[in-house]
Amino acid sequence: MADALALKGVTRRLGNFALGPLNLEVPRGSVTALIGPNGAGKTTTLDLALGLGAPDGGTIEVVGLAMPADEVAIKRKVAYVNPDLNYQPWGRVGRALNFLRKFYPDWDDAACERLLADFGLERGQKIAALSFGARIKLSLVAAFSRDAELLLLDEPTTGLDVNAKLRLFGLILDFVKREDRAVVISSHQLADLERVADQVAIIDKGRLVIFERMDRLVARFIQMDARLATGGALPKLDGVKALARDGERLRLLLDLDSASREQLAAHGLEPLSETPLTLEEIFLALVAPEAR
Amino acid sequence: MTPRGLLRFGPISPAAAGPLYEQIVNAVKREIAAGRLSPGEALPSVRALATELLVSLITIKRAYEELERAGIIYSRQGLGTFVADNGAEEIRRARREQARRAMAQAVRDGRAAGLSDKDLIDWLWKEL
Repeated sequence: MADALALKGVTRRLGNFALGPLNLEVPRGSVTALIGPNGAGKTTTLDLALGLGAPDGGTIEVVGLAMPADEVAIKRKVAYVNPDLNYQPWGRVGRALNFLRKFYPDWDDAACERLLADFGLERGQKIAALSFGARIKLSLVAAFSRDAELLLLDEPTTGLDVNAKLRLFGLILDFVKREDRAVVISSHQLADLERVADQVAIIDKGRLVIFERMDRLVARFIQMDARLATGGALPKLDGVKALARDGERLRLLLDLDSASREQLAAHGLEPLSETPLTLEEIFLALVAPEAR
Repeated sequence: MTPRGLLRFGPISPAAAGPLYEQIVNAVKREIAAGRLSPGEALPSVRALATELLVSLITIKRAYEELERAGIIYSRQGLGTFVADNGAEEIRRARREQARRAMAQAVRDGRAAGLSDKDLIDWLWKEL
């Protein structure tokens, strides 16, 4: 079965911002986290996958269909959540849902009622009077009421209380119980993503920094404090990034796929201590500027 | 109703010691060793347990792989994952081995601290 999402050499220029060339293959039956600093290109990437804007170069395939040629078919199979979705023109929660229901043939009425109750929304509520978090809940209800193959969730945890957030992660894991489905979620809640996502794609300044299985990523990167006995410049070594430096003492990010402890010793680096890192710490270290 | 796996294999928390998959491995071992999971009994599917414990599929898969490698559980394509006939025995064997290694380490530490063999034996007696 084709990947849920396949980007090949995708580029997109928006003012000063340049995305790509981006290559990314999101497998089915799993949850992929898309993380990056603000302005890194996460939303641009998700929007391109949904045909909101066209790439300047490269090809995009979604659930095995080509964008933009099969755009309508793709939109039938993909659900999308973004804090900017605006349902206000429909006035009330029920009217917005009734509209969406007619739009999507895969709509499930029973699921919709369950989700409304779960998220504490009522059909009679005025959308304009909803809190920011409640508006996200409405777009989550709309997305999960469908029998989509791919869920694109852009910052779906924004403004959600802890209960609603847990409910959302439960829904995400429930969604991928079917192996032909996939979820791509961008969020700044890295501790939550570390727990529920199977893969992680880190984007920085429009480029894919790393795409890795979550458990492998956490095993691959460690932080090491070391002494550079020579006191000179840190030699350029594969898989070694200096995060901080104070005289001869250095704090390093090591990618154990390419860096080895023996290699460090050969360059006059004496290890002092090692610590494993959380996803959040690895992310911060990867996008931090290098200290030399 | 509380989902079945939640109380049986939880809580799985980043605040507890060890990676999440290891916490699940230990929870399954605990259930088997205590006889609350019997040989041949089915474990929850990877996807069902992921939903119940709110952890990624990868985490559950890794825990099950680890348990399978240790001979504690086995999986049958399309049927599911089950407790191995000698699962409880494998856990007891692993625990004995762990205790033996801890004792060997204690002896090495004791000698490094300058304790005589007699001191070490006296201390062991006190613990007993």
